[in-house]
Amino acid sequence: MESSRRSDALREEMELHLAEKAAELEAEGMTPERARSEARRRFGNVGLKYEESREIWMTRFWSELAQDVRYGCRTMASNKAFSALAILSLALGIGANTAIYSLMESILFRSLPVADPESLAVLNWRSHPPQNANKEWVHVVHRIQGRFWPGDKGALVTGIFPYAAFETLREENNVFSTLFGYFIGPKRTVAIHGQATVASVQFVTGEYFRGLGVSPAAGRLIDSEDDRPGAEPVAVLSFAASQNRFGGPSNAIRQSILVDNIPFTVVGVAPPEFFGVDPAVSPELYLPLHTNLLVDGAEAAEMYGDPNFYWLEMMGRLRPGVSMEQAQAVLAPRFHQWVATTAKTDGERAKLPALILNPGAGGLGSLRRQYSKPLYVLMAMVALILAVTCANIANLLLARAAARRREIAVRLSLGAGRLRIVRQLLTESVLLALLGGALGVVFAIWGVQSLTFLFSNGQESFTLRAELNWNVLAVTAALSVVSGLLFGLAPAIQVTRPDVMPALKYGRVSGSRSRLQPVLVVAQIAMSFVILVAAGLFVRTLNKLQSVQLGYGRENILLFSLNARQAGHRAPEITTFYADLRKRLETIPGVSSATFSHSSILKAGHAGATYRGTMKIGAVTIEGAGVISAGPRFLTTMQIPILAGREIDERDQSGSPPVAVVSERLARTYFGNENPIGRRITLVDIKRDVEIVGVSGNVRYGDLKEAGYPMTVFVAARQFSPDQVTYALRTAGDPLSYVRSVTEIVREADSRIPVTNVVTQAAEIDRTINRETVFAKLSTGFAVLALLIACVGLYGITSYNVARQAGEIGIRMALGAQRGAVVRMVLRRVLILAAAGLAISVPGALTASQLVKSFLFETQPNDPGTLALAGVILVSAAILAGYVPARRASRIDPVAALRNE
Amino acid sequence: MGRKPKKNDSLPGSLDMLILRALSLRDLHGYGIVQFIQQSSGNELLIEEGSLYPALQRLELNGWIQGAWGVTPNNRRARIYRITAAGRKQLEVETRKYAKLTLAIERVMGMA
Repeated sequence: MESSRRSDALREEMELHLAEKAAELEAEGMTPERARSEARRRFGNVGLKYEESREIWMTRFWSELAQDVRYGCRTMASNKAFSALAILSLALGIGANTAIYSLMESILFRSLPVADPESLAVLNWRSHPPQNANKEWVHVVHRIQGRFWPGDKGALVTGIFPYAAFETLREENNVFSTLFGYFIGPKRTVAIHGQATVASVQFVTGEYFRGLGVSPAAGRLIDSEDDRPGAEPVAVLSFAASQNRFGGPSNAIRQSILVDNIPFTVVGVAPPEFFGVDPAVSPELYLPLHTNLLVDGAEAAEMYGDPNFYWLEMMGRLRPGVSMEQAQAVLAPRFHQWVATTAKTDGERAKLPALILNPGAGGLGSLRRQYSKPLYVLMAMVALILAVTCANIANLLLARAAARRREIAVRLSLGAGRLRIVRQLLTESVLLALLGGALGVVFAIWGVQSLTFLFSNGQESFTLRAELNWNVLAVTAALSVVSGLLFGLAPAIQVTRPDVMPALKYGRVSGSRSRLQPVLVVAQIAMSFVILVAAGLFVRTLNKLQSVQLGYGRENILLFSLNARQAGHRAPEITTFYADLRKRLETIPGVSSATFSHSSILKAGHAGATYRGTMKIGAVTIEGAGVISAGPRFLTTMQIPILAGREIDERDQSGSPPVAVVSERLARTYFGNENPIGRRITLVDIKRDVEIVGVSGNVRYGDLKEAGYPMTVFVAARQFSPDQVTYALRTAGDPLSYVRSVTEIVREADSRIPVTNVVTQAAEIDRTINRETVFAKLSTGFAVLALLIACVGLYGITSYNVARQAGEIGIRMALGAQRGAVVRMVLRRVLILAAAGLAISVPGALTASQLVKSFLFETQPNDPGTLALAGVILVSAAILAGYVPARRASRIDPVAALRNE
Repeated sequence: MGRKPKKNDSLPGSLDMLILRALSLRDLHGYGIVQFIQQSSGNELLIEEGSLYPALQRLELNGWIQGAWGVTPNNRRARIYRITAAGRKQLEVETRKYAKLTLAIERVMGMA
């Protein structure tokens, strides 16, 4: 910029010169041409002179820069402690920011690796909540397979549609060049060369790969011919799966595999970068939509025929020139018209789903919905850290610049340009920042790895691909340079202020007291307080979660899941299979008891097949009770106390009278002081009565964070034949040391069934509070960091003030002031700064804590205890930071101090 | 500050000194400086006009003169140069050096 402006000016000057010379010569009587050539002759070689002139300041620029950099390095080397502190704190600040930004980039901003992702549109719909005032379900949606998520104003949003809606909209092809559907159901058992594992499988319509514009890495992809009932069952593997299972894409082609025991032929492999349409799930296998008729049988057949069964997700590619709004304007009325025909009652007609199109470039938003808010909170915290860091470095530089005031004043008075000195000081701070940035990249690489690890925390299907890339690096570099300029500029301007004379006269550290330094320290304290409060709230939330009364055992329990149905077992044989396996598992030495249930207690509300309908005792409906289908000895294994009667055991077989065990709360609520044993509960939806045979202690059913059902009904698993079960083994010693024996026994029983979700009970519980744990850990780390940096700042300014006032303190002491009084005098100033910081930041902290309200558990955002604790910690740290220089001040030798004056 | 300004080590008649002298009397643009030197030397000193520009850059970088956009007597846009305080000091230094040098030469030539 500067250089091109100078070059232009130079050229203009020279041209003006030639023109004026020529004009003069012309006035003396020369012809215009002669005048011009004469002017040039006298001027000399124009181009050469131009270059010479340019070179003068270009070489000057570079040589000065080199000189500044050398000088900066020398100053840094001579101030090792200062430089190390500055570079380290900056590196931490920049590293943390870069790491979080990398994660944000990969989760929130990255596009699908397909052709022209911008023209993809995801089809969603929104509607009023399906329940009416009596909590009954009144909606055109009768059955679902898929997810809902909350929209604004209590609305319900989802991406699942009935198959008939897909067929209807597919015909409306004047806005979309292709419309394709897909769904990911539960994980499937995939056997390759006799080795069974579970894999996520995406069922896709024939237009899927064509619509996304993906070309195969080997073989061919699924097309419309493959996607019809009765077609040859073919499969497309993900690139990673082809490598892991077959050793490479080309080896996989024409191989036969079993999906839930149904044979498929691999016809192609997807490209390496392709991960489907949802960054949250990377399917290993893509199957034609209609092959779910083979895999799931009769259930799947219902999915196609029922216009009130919502399960298929859709994405479309806009035709060139058609905007998202135009497409929506065309499709929404068409969908409305169709969906109105599926409503059967006035109640259903009153709240029909409304179609909305969302941008599909980033794929489906499940990851974004899950992580965007936590990431923004983390981003805010690390941005604060960086601000604290920059304030700190600015402060350190200010103090140092003040110490160098005299040197700079001398140079200014000797005629050095102010700009030149500012530039030199800036070079130094940018140098610091760049070194900090370079080290920050190292921290960031490490940070991204540990963040990904923290976030995934053992989730099998965590597919986040966060890495540093050019975008992120550019942001980091910009961050370091900008922060370098920011914190370097203020001191540079301050010390080069034109009133250099006082500095020359009073050569000591003195000079006017900096007004900026206390401001920076107060700002640091204020920001640290906000982070401290956040950390306090998150730690408190974690403590609350950890102290939740589970009502069941946490330690020494091994959990794992089996799905025998996917290996070909069917009712009623499947229940015998599960029951026999339980007995064999109980024979493992060290296993004191074994049991199984439709899912673990934590996931009971979401996973597995169990009874979810209405339950009644006589005419009274049971409100808010959860059901667990449990095998024999469930209560014993889970250490749930049996308060009356018996638990479910070997007697409760499929042929015997159906039984149930209820929790104490349920018994008290519906039977008062009467004995519930022998009473009956009616499961209305399946028209079955169960007899209460026992009362258990209360159990926290479902997730820790959700209110959970306070009441539980245990029914006998063998009387409800679940497809998939979770076994629980009570072990002596480390539960994971039994995994080998378990897999052996399962393989003996049926080698086609993979053992999945192997985890200890304790680890599964910890997983559900993973986010809270991450937040508590990270925010505590951040708070310590911010506090440390703020204390360094406080220490620095106090030491500086003590040094500046050495004379005054000396006089006071000579006049008989006690050491204690000196210490108090210095500390008073520290406390004033701390108090000012606190006063500013309390309102800020209160506002900020409201923003994280949704992350808290049984903790109010303005929790007074947390605020008070944060305040106490901050003030203590401030006193500690101030005490060292205060003590030093009290040791000042009056004689020596006065002599120096 | 670090580096010494580039010496103008040509013989007496140093272009830098002449430029500084011209600007010490009044602010001028490039061509104005040339005209001034020629006229006040009675057209005896003919400088290579192109050399003026590297010299101006050098003087400006040394902080002796300062250029700013302005208007020439002929009403044309041009960079008008002004001498700085440091420039006046430098002019004194160079004048003294020049005086010493010419005096020495005169002595050698037996003219003094």
